[in-house]
Amino acid sequence: MVDNFSDEQKKGMEEMQDNLTADRHPLPRYKHIGGRGGRRLDGQPKASGQAEYTMDVILPGMLHLRFLDSPYPHAAVRSMDTSKAERLDGVRYVLRYDNPEMPEKASTGKFHGLYGDQPPLPGIAHFEGEPVGVAIAAETEAIAEEALTLVEVEWEERSFNLDPVKAREKDAPLSYPEMYPAGNFWNNGLFNELVLGDAKKGFHESERVMEFAFSRRGHTWIGPERPCGVFRWNGESPEVWVKQQRPHLVKKNLATWYGGIPMNSIQLHCLYQGASFGGWVQVPWNMGPLYCAGFVAKKTGRPVKYALTRREDFYGQSMDDGRYSLKVGFNRDGRINAVKGSSTMTNQLWPMFNIMGHFKENTSIPHLHGVTESVWVNKGPAVPTRCEMLPTSLCITMVFNRVAAECGLDPIEVALRNDGIEGHGTDHLAEERRNRGFSDVDSMKECVERGKKAFGWDAKWHAPGTRKLPNGRMHGVGFTWTHEWDDSLGTSEMAIRIERNDGTATILAMGCDNGVDAENTYCRIAADELGFRLEDVRYNPQIDPGFFRMSPDSSTNASVNGWAVRHAARIVKAQILQAAVSPTARTQRGSYRPAFPDCTPDDLDIEDSVIYRKSDPSQRMSLGDFVREAGQSGPISSSESAGYRWAFSEPLFAFGYQVQLGSYNPENPRPHFTRQAHFLEVEVDTETGGIFLTSVVNVNDVGKAMNPMSCEGQQYGGSIMGLSRGLFEEMIYDQATGVMLNGNLLDYKIATIKDVSCPIGTILVETGQGYGPYGSVGIGEDIGTVMTGILGPAVYNAIGVWIDDHPITPDKVLKALGKT
Amino acid sequence: MKPFAHFNATSMDEAVEILGRYGGRAAVIAGGTDLLGRMKDLVLPSYPEALVNIKTIPGLDAVGEDRGYLKIGALTRLSALASHPAVRAEYSALAEAADRTASPHLRNLGTIGGNLCQDIRCWYYRGPNNRFSCLRKGGGRCYALKGDNRFHSIFGASVEQGCVAVHPSDTAPVLIALDAEVETSKRTMKVMDLFTVRPLRTTVLDPDEILTGVRIPVPSPGTKGAFLKFAQRKSIDFPIVNCAAMLTFDEGVVKEARICLNAVYVTPRRAYAAERALAGRFLDEETAAEAAREAIADARPLQHNAYMVQVARTLVKRALLACGGQGE
Amino acid sequence: MAKSGDISMFTCPYCSTQRENFEALREHILADHKGSLLPEPANRIRLLINGLEHAMNVEPEWTLYHLIHDRLGMTGSKQFCDRGACGSCTVIMDGLPVLSCMVLAIECDGRTIETVEGVARAGHPLIESYVKHHAMQCGYCTPGFVVTSKALLDRNPDPTEGEIREALSGNLCRCGTYPQHIVAVREAARTLLKEKEDSGGER
Repeated sequence: MVDNFSDEQKKGMEEMQDNLTADRHPLPRYKHIGGRGGRRLDGQPKASGQAEYTMDVILPGMLHLRFLDSPYPHAAVRSMDTSKAERLDGVRYVLRYDNPEMPEKASTGKFHGLYGDQPPLPGIAHFEGEPVGVAIAAETEAIAEEALTLVEVEWEERSFNLDPVKAREKDAPLSYPEMYPAGNFWNNGLFNELVLGDAKKGFHESERVMEFAFSRRGHTWIGPERPCGVFRWNGESPEVWVKQQRPHLVKKNLATWYGGIPMNSIQLHCLYQGASFGGWVQVPWNMGPLYCAGFVAKKTGRPVKYALTRREDFYGQSMDDGRYSLKVGFNRDGRINAVKGSSTMTNQLWPMFNIMGHFKENTSIPHLHGVTESVWVNKGPAVPTRCEMLPTSLCITMVFNRVAAECGLDPIEVALRNDGIEGHGTDHLAEERRNRGFSDVDSMKECVERGKKAFGWDAKWHAPGTRKLPNGRMHGVGFTWTHEWDDSLGTSEMAIRIERNDGTATILAMGCDNGVDAENTYCRIAADELGFRLEDVRYNPQIDPGFFRMSPDSSTNASVNGWAVRHAARIVKAQILQAAVSPTARTQRGSYRPAFPDCTPDDLDIEDSVIYRKSDPSQRMSLGDFVREAGQSGPISSSESAGYRWAFSEPLFAFGYQVQLGSYNPENPRPHFTRQAHFLEVEVDTETGGIFLTSVVNVNDVGKAMNPMSCEGQQYGGSIMGLSRGLFEEMIYDQATGVMLNGNLLDYKIATIKDVSCPIGTILVETGQGYGPYGSVGIGEDIGTVMTGILGPAVYNAIGVWIDDHPITPDKVLKALGKT
Repeated sequence: MKPFAHFNATSMDEAVEILGRYGGRAAVIAGGTDLLGRMKDLVLPSYPEALVNIKTIPGLDAVGEDRGYLKIGALTRLSALASHPAVRAEYSALAEAADRTASPHLRNLGTIGGNLCQDIRCWYYRGPNNRFSCLRKGGGRCYALKGDNRFHSIFGASVEQGCVAVHPSDTAPVLIALDAEVETSKRTMKVMDLFTVRPLRTTVLDPDEILTGVRIPVPSPGTKGAFLKFAQRKSIDFPIVNCAAMLTFDEGVVKEARICLNAVYVTPRRAYAAERALAGRFLDEETAAEAAREAIADARPLQHNAYMVQVARTLVKRALLACGGQGE
Repeated sequence: MAKSGDISMFTCPYCSTQRENFEALREHILADHKGSLLPEPANRIRLLINGLEHAMNVEPEWTLYHLIHDRLGMTGSKQFCDRGACGSCTVIMDGLPVLSCMVLAIECDGRTIETVEGVARAGHPLIESYVKHHAMQCGYCTPGFVVTSKALLDRNPDPTEGEIREALSGNLCRCGTYPQHIVAVREAARTLLKEKEDSGGER
């Protein structure tokens, strides 16, 4: 087939995989890409309650599995009496940590060598609330829960750490002695250093040097659907339902369990997912319970559903929990020469991103030195929570706004003065853009100018602590910015098939919805590439991750998958046009006349799902007429004898795939060109410490907004989640006992519709400088991550005092004002 | 939830009889929004053997005037109370308090009786699986005293118990400021006298005693009221501090003042010193501020909750000014 | 030892008084208890869900959510917090939005319940406006918002932005879709008002 491509087409396909330069084969015009309207594929099911989630799965004879939670932050089960639980009516299986058939360790979510294989049901707990010791399967969840209260455990309590700074000290007790016997710090590469230039020299050359420190309390993701799974054995083959952002990794792990299972006999269903924001990616304390469910399912011969409790889900934390110290060298004009930063974080299960990362990728600051270190404490694991770049985003917001405050400058001026890349200024950035064929638009200026205007920045910004409103509150505004990102390092496989009978197109790819309406974007790409009407393209999620796509972890959707679907669409289009000039239905007795005789594929095109001859558009045939019916007796027997020609094109099917060198490839293959800018207006009640949000503007250069409503959804959602984190969110532990105090949705506070009730302005800038198809770039991870820190400068601008402890709650406002 | 027996009582007598039969091992269920949460989390050392549903007793959800009182049946839902025309017109502070309680959905379930009889929200007390066997559960100590007490009492612990968990009701302070009484299956008492601080109890009600209603005397002419609530979120949350004030004016002079704070102490707390400071004076910014200072003069905050003193002072001042038609 | 005398007596299942024959017992029950001849078990409830009569035996510890979602398989109502703090399990009970995780099924005898399935089946314009305005992301909390909004529009056909916010202030959305809900509810309200106008006030 590929031989039928024109040179131009071949070139286009080769370059599809090259996202390091500008998209050299965009479409001449967009009909559906960038359009509004067009129904969300998940819309009706979700709004009407028909959408099925793993929590909704109810199978005949299904048992419910529940786990014992450790009451202590660090403790081992010394002995356990489960006899009373076993005798309770309705209890069907009691799985103990010392069951001889359970493996000592299983593949439960290894990532980059961190945190290794773990026991699926541990006998030692490393944080309070950790599922440990015993799992009970019963006819109902309530019986399992009651049975757990009948288990008698003799615990061996062990010393524990909560505070990373204390845990780092030499004589601190070991938090995870089994995994990290050498100490709580500096284990397995959890130390990350970034050096650019010479920070010492930079400080020396600076007019001013400033040092400050702040802390951020760990918060959590709160996926609305509890982590859960259902396990059924169909003979030797497992059929599994999981709530998992990365179902393909579940399948990969599962294949190694229970003595090994071939991949092709595992059936894995990934239904709609009640969100997890990255949190639940392959963490042992999620995979372990699934292992247990499979084990119990085998033992009982019945399907087993496990669902962690709401509280059990609370223990995972964001990766920004920790202390930050920063030293900044700058000149009075706002030019920053050097930044040195160090942060001490907790329990990072992910390769950490250096806190100076965005400074390097996003500024002209020539001298950077960043040290990020992780310390093990007896809290839950820290994993990406919307994104692992919370710490660096927080640091860039704090540094720029602090420098602006010290210089008495508008923070936007400081941001513009220091824009650039890898220590070089905007000239270098412009040159890089030109070398790679991108447009010559300065994304930063574009974002800032449009945002300032929409927000009314020039009228609203003022010296800190100087504007009292008629209602008695203090007025403040905050600004932050960074570049756009998504972890576009990834791979994707997607296919397109043209349906028989009506010629509609089906996109076949892994089903793993994360709510961002990416599926609609893929339909738009395929429709424009094929020349189809949007309603003639549909995404058909596969129940099994047979086709891998880079959306399940949500770090990347369209910027990787978009290439794959575009690739597939271009091949299918070539197939269609080739088929249109080739004999329809080749048989043993010969072949039939082509639909477009005397033509080459280049003479034809497709528009609105109709194939037509470019030189004479009256020669046209709809896709439906072209593919015709899938006759039950085929083209040979009845059609021939009946004497008419039964058109029967060859199957029209193709896959596309993409192996992307993302901008977070360690080799850092291309700079970040696109920028984002955010604006927040607040009022602070200095008598109560209450903070009121009055205006938000988000400006994102998304390169190309393929699905603008989806982008805006991320701006709204990111702002609300980010501000909720900034205002309220922290996991609170009792320091004496290590017990989490607010592990529920009343005491852990996420914003309600009344807490972020101000207008949220959404501006999408399209410079075409992204690394996705058509110059697009991701938006989902960024805003919720960046907006977490913006409350700091806004409150500072209102009250004239910095609050160095996030979230910024009323008690801290009053304390900063000296009113406590 | 673990199993329990359930009775739909058809009369008060029947409900009392069942409670008596279970001798303290049964619980009354009205709206259920507090009780079921406690049961789901296995908060207490004991689990009720039976629930006695009193929603099946007719006539307990009426609101109406009755011989110089506004009578509110114990089962009156908070949403019904908040939207009741007579309450909105004559007792707007009470309507406001009911309307600021929890969330709209919970106000459609929760009752005024339940809002008064609800249990404390201290996060040590509420730890699932009875994690902290604290003083209020008959245990040895208060964990909040030296622990994370950012939402605890700023006026010290209860005398007998050393417990610093605050009372979370939004309606109680208004009812106290209105000098209201509660009626039970046994007696009538001032709302202020309903509360106690004992193991597993927040009210003086006997195990077989049921709150049947609240009655509020018609306020003297010239009385104005206000209710203010401070919480982290604008919906769902329990108060960090709330304050109700009822001021009776005579030609601009405060004749009588009743001010009650809640969520700052183990029971709702009358601000007597502030009331005294106001009596006989014109209400203005200065007198309100002075009264507010008096209200918190004896505050003894804990390690993490000094900010609540400032919030309480602000709320008292603003509530007073709101009575005078100023402020918020 | 057989007590033939006892066996011949007919005991009233309601009040345990005895009658000498079945006819007498029958007359007594119909006259004094006004019920069917045999009392239903205490855990028997009858309720109307989405217009359909349901009669079933329930356990005291079952919540209304458990009954609807796990027993009747109407999985549109979702469990998010399970403690009355999020609104995802909202159903409309006798016209009011309530949290089904905080209601005991056994106390729902005689109630009228409407779930998201009922709202959708009735073709309520909220569904379409939610889809159109992307008032959802992961979708898990969405049915709770739809049901709450439906109850709002039932009692307030033309709500202001503030009234919509107030009505939805017990519904948590972690994805942060709040702004779209305001737009979606207002559009559904306009659609309903127009339908009403077009049909001369009948609907």
